[in-house]
Amino acid sequence: MKDSTVAGGRSRAGGDPLGPNSEIGRKLKQYYDELVSDDVPDRFAQLLAQLETAEPARKKD
Amino acid sequence: MAVSQDFKVDLLGAIPSLRAFAVSLSQNADKADDLVQETLVKAWDKHESFQPGTNLKAWLFTILRNEFYSQMRKRGREVQDSDGIMTSRLAVHPAQQGQLDLKDFRTALEQLPEDQREAIILIGASGFSYEEAAEICGCAVGTIKSRVSRARARLQDILKISGEDEFGPDAIATHVIGSSAA
Repeated sequence: MKDSTVAGGRSRAGGDPLGPNSEIGRKLKQYYDELVSDDVPDRFAQLLAQLETAEPARKKD
Repeated sequence: MAVSQDFKVDLLGAIPSLRAFAVSLSQNADKADDLVQETLVKAWDKHESFQPGTNLKAWLFTILRNEFYSQMRKRGREVQDSDGIMTSRLAVHPAQQGQLDLKDFRTALEQLPEDQREAIILIGASGFSYEEAAEICGCAVGTIKSRVSRARARLQDILKISGEDEFGPDAIATHVIGSSAA
């Protein structure tokens, strides 16, 4: 899932100090997109699987 | 109520963003992954307090951020300066003709105080609105705006980028030439 979408529906047109015309804005996105596209270690999927298995035992519906 | 399959899928989908935010906050990959793990466990435990239809990513970022600051408090907060003591320790080459190296940028970002760094990341990179960022950080919208603006000014300063939306020396020179010619 890429993070470059605007979650708040905020317009980025004109005058945005961190928009595409800003060197800082561009670098910020480059820095962050690189982090987002990093491979996710298996430990997280395993963790969620464990939480799911543990769920019925921990909570009674 | 059991955790729904949708919730689990959405959690999985949010992991790359959570990791990126965690690294941005903690500046350390191992600490970041521990933060993400803690966030997932907490989110799972209190999934009932999440209101479906609202922004899950913002909800998760809030949990992660709270976790980060509570861990910092437990460890005894490493004080980050807001007044440039760290800045002087790390020299960054001036950006050459707008060709700014990502490594230099990362170094500059590390020098920001956490509150400014998280604000500029949430607004400039994660794609949150000022209102959402304010909610995540538990502060006023105006506070976020001022932190973003200070962060940006600070980065420009460290990276020797002249103000991109201000009148540069050319505008002044033109004015001086103009007035002397009259």
